[in-house]
Amino acid sequence: MDEEPERAKRWEGGYERTWEVLKEDESGSLKATVEEILFQSKRKRVIESHGQVRLGMMRHLYVVIDCSRSMEDQDLKPNRLTSTLKLMEAFVEEYFDQNPISQVGIIMTKNKRAEKLTDLAGNPKKHITALQKAVDSVCVGEPSLYNSLSLAVQTLKHMPGHTSREILIILSSLTTCDPANIYELIKTLKSLKVRVSVIGLSAEVRVCTVLTRETGGSYHVILDESHFKELLMLHVKPPPSSSASECSLIRMGFPQHTIASLSDQDAKPSFTPSVSCGPGLSLGGYFCPQCHAKYTELPVECKVCGLTLVSAPHLARSFHHLFPLDAFTEIPEEEHHGDRFCQACQGELKDKSVFMCPSCHSVFCVECDLFIHDSLHCCPCCIHNQSGP
Amino acid sequence: MKLNIEGLLVYFPYDYIYPEQYSYMLELKRTLDAKGHGVLEMPSGTGKTISLLSLIVAYQRAFPLEVTKLIYCSRTVPEIEKVVEELRKLMEFYSKETGETNNFLALALSSRKNLCIHPEILHANIVVYSYHYLLDPKIADLVSKELAKKSVVVFDEAHNIDNVCIDSMSVNITRRTLDRCQNNVDTLQNTIQKIKETDAAKLREEYRRLVDGLKEASVARETDIYLSNPVLPDEILQEAVPGTIRTAEHFVGFLRRFLEYLKSRLRVQHVVQESTPQFLKDIFDKVCIDRKPLRFCAERLQSLLRTLEIADIADFSAVTLISNFATLVSTYSQGFTIIIEPFEDRTPTIANPVLHFSCMDPSIAIKPVFQRFQSVVITSGTLSPLDIYPRILDFRPVTMASFTMTLARTCLCPLIVGRGNDQVALSSKFETREDFAVIRNYGNLLLEMSAVVPDGIVAFFTSYVYMENIVASWYEQGILENIQRNKLIFIETQDAAETSMALEKYQEACENGRGAILLSVARGKVSEGIDFVHHFGRAVIMFGVPYVYTQSRILKARLEYLRDQFQIRENDFLTFDAMRHAAQCVGRAIRGKTDYGLMIFADKRYARADKRGKLPRWIQEHITDGSLNLTVDETVQLSKHFLRQMAQPFRQEDQLGLSLLTLEQLQSEEMLKKITQIAHQT
Repeated sequence: MDEEPERAKRWEGGYERTWEVLKEDESGSLKATVEEILFQSKRKRVIESHGQVRLGMMRHLYVVIDCSRSMEDQDLKPNRLTSTLKLMEAFVEEYFDQNPISQVGIIMTKNKRAEKLTDLAGNPKKHITALQKAVDSVCVGEPSLYNSLSLAVQTLKHMPGHTSREILIILSSLTTCDPANIYELIKTLKSLKVRVSVIGLSAEVRVCTVLTRETGGSYHVILDESHFKELLMLHVKPPPSSSASECSLIRMGFPQHTIASLSDQDAKPSFTPSVSCGPGLSLGGYFCPQCHAKYTELPVECKVCGLTLVSAPHLARSFHHLFPLDAFTEIPEEEHHGDRFCQACQGELKDKSVFMCPSCHSVFCVECDLFIHDSLHCCPCCIHNQSGP
Repeated sequence: MKLNIEGLLVYFPYDYIYPEQYSYMLELKRTLDAKGHGVLEMPSGTGKTISLLSLIVAYQRAFPLEVTKLIYCSRTVPEIEKVVEELRKLMEFYSKETGETNNFLALALSSRKNLCIHPEILHANIVVYSYHYLLDPKIADLVSKELAKKSVVVFDEAHNIDNVCIDSMSVNITRRTLDRCQNNVDTLQNTIQKIKETDAAKLREEYRRLVDGLKEASVARETDIYLSNPVLPDEILQEAVPGTIRTAEHFVGFLRRFLEYLKSRLRVQHVVQESTPQFLKDIFDKVCIDRKPLRFCAERLQSLLRTLEIADIADFSAVTLISNFATLVSTYSQGFTIIIEPFEDRTPTIANPVLHFSCMDPSIAIKPVFQRFQSVVITSGTLSPLDIYPRILDFRPVTMASFTMTLARTCLCPLIVGRGNDQVALSSKFETREDFAVIRNYGNLLLEMSAVVPDGIVAFFTSYVYMENIVASWYEQGILENIQRNKLIFIETQDAAETSMALEKYQEACENGRGAILLSVARGKVSEGIDFVHHFGRAVIMFGVPYVYTQSRILKARLEYLRDQFQIRENDFLTFDAMRHAAQCVGRAIRGKTDYGLMIFADKRYARADKRGKLPRWIQEHITDGSLNLTVDETVQLSKHFLRQMAQPFRQEDQLGLSLLTLEQLQSEEMLKKITQIAHQT
């Protein structure tokens, strides 16, 4: 059926009819407008990030992956399941990169049941291995929204009030098989302040609209694979926390990495109670400042005393979400009469517009603007000025 | 907002307006200015009701002498309630804006329990009620007789108005009717006996009055106080009631004779069809009943019932029906036919004789309305092709316009499926109706759609029989079982209680995410009265072209009449009728600009220009050449694409300036130019 010539060809999906907006420039070249479109789509993501709001830094997210019959559909290549799992791997990486002190768990639903693929944990490796294994699973029957949500909620409701409780559902099927009235469950979710977001792979389903609206989540339906990726990445950023959520001071441990010197007579390889890489013997590690349990990786919650162990860079990385860098102002190239070179990469400013930091008035090119906002999270020129005399 | 419509100040109770509403009001104003009739088609969900009300109320206030009353006729009680709700909003807006207390009186007649008989209601500025109050001669006489000539009459959802007219004039007589009538006559006889013993003067007084004739009614008609009653023809008013039925006993005897005659006519073994003159001749030959007393029958009975002071008229419905029949049959020599069937077509073994006295000319019932009121507006979401309504209703409109829906996004997606995946032509036409391949492909279409359309799908079949056959066949092939994995299935039946139960469960399944399919029948209850907003109808599938059952004798007679009297060919009328029902069915899915839905026409005949051209313009303009003869697979691909597009966030800001306007936007030159293109004059 894919060979039928028709309007919506799959391979055209990525550039939805972009030729309709194309215009030739004076020399008859199309290049400029194509770049314009790409440029606009890049720019959009930066602008959309919200300003000063309270964010849930410690996130507990359950991702529910639909593994019902409809996941075998081949409108995403090679099929919906494989494509989803691939994107999920990237998502998990990105998620822990941006939210180092948060946790993720994965639930799969098929055949009217819901099962945990991985428990809530803060280590990306375990999830990624599980996701890679799941590629071979068979897609059968209908999904069950109710069962998935209640399974997730069983764990989430025990999470402390200052953390954000989130569920992200990737739903391919248009039907759900529920054992009880889902609207009751939605009420419970709402009272527990669990935020449910849905990414639909086929079309808008009413019950998801209600579910996300009631719990304060977002609901999106994908257009194609690249859109899917974009939507999934939206969930990497921590959501604004509701004003009602508790604030509390939490104890955290900042262990130093110590390697027992071999010359030390007392040094013995010691046992690590870590879950991620399995119990093993090693010389070095992080020692919990409270109970001296040893861990090879951070961040982790101490198995012995329950203290959250992180390193300072972890916190710092989460920190930038709280103080996002202001979007740079876009100035058309003609109106700009200053430097002809980007302050960051020192390249010549060739694009139609340049970007100016609102506080230090330095100008940047598009690429650097994106890099600064996506990765650096601070303006290099501002930092430079501060450190100077 | 306050609008200026060609110099008329119109208060519009919303902050935003659709361009087509503005255009609609322009056309409406021109109709009122010309004091003529209008036919206006505008898609449902674009705010027809409020546009109508705002403009006409504004007109009434500006020219109180030109237009005194608005008579708004709608079809069902929920629709009437909707009108009243909008009217209330409008009135609140008026009192807020002008600061003066509201001196407008509006009246809604819905059911007897809400009825008010305070004399002040006669002076109401706006009357909202059902069609029947104006069209059905039995009720119109009671309710609408005294409405002023300078009224504006609006028929909303009027795409079926010709059938309403015909039904209101037709009479069906069964054995049961005659039995009840017999009882009525006996009761009359007894009452007359009783009164004769106690109050003979009363009967004498009545007799004297009848000698004077129906002068009163005649005077009233000449002085133009009343809406004329089509059951009471002009000629009768000039004459006195004939001597044969002037006394009460004679009249009862006359009724008995007439009744016996009808009974004898029902004792037939074969189908009889005859014209009214033939019937009159036969009745004269058999029981010596002349044409003249028959014509006075209805009026004479009314007079008798009044004289006898019978309170509960409802008990005498049978005898009233028979006397109305007598008057009609002797008054109209054209436009009616009499068909006597000894049994129903479906059950040829069970004797159930019915005498159909069938009206074939809808203009008879509506004629008084057009003649009396200065402006009559016929409006609906589906009135295409516009020119046929003036022809069958026999009037000359001053404006005929069809409005399109301005859309910020294409929220409707009409697709014509002509072939299955195996290239078998899909059609419900008689020759291929039983064809296994067609049925299988139809099943396949529904199955595939059930997997890609979220929440609710409504499927329409051409008739109950056809639906039963297909569903049985799907069951045998296991298609139903496969569909049920995706969605639950509900079926409309002829039983009203069962159907409303099915509807309720259908909506529940759409609501909680299970998804459901409703199998129903074009022309059934679901296709006419029930809206499937948003998730309740994401797709409508029309299996086949819903032609009316052409073997019916009544229909054949009507087609013949249309051909002879109005020069409308049988085929043209049948196609028109089928397409208006198809449009009604698919239109159920789109009830507003934020709504979206697929419209799937599963029959290759829809691709033909004569069928497609009869769809409303707002649907037609979205049918591209590429979507004329699709296979099932192509349909599924297009649907998937459409549904994903529609699921993208859609906010009010996206509509602003395109399909939703603020006052400033409306006043811009460019927009006014665009608006003139919305109305499509015919």
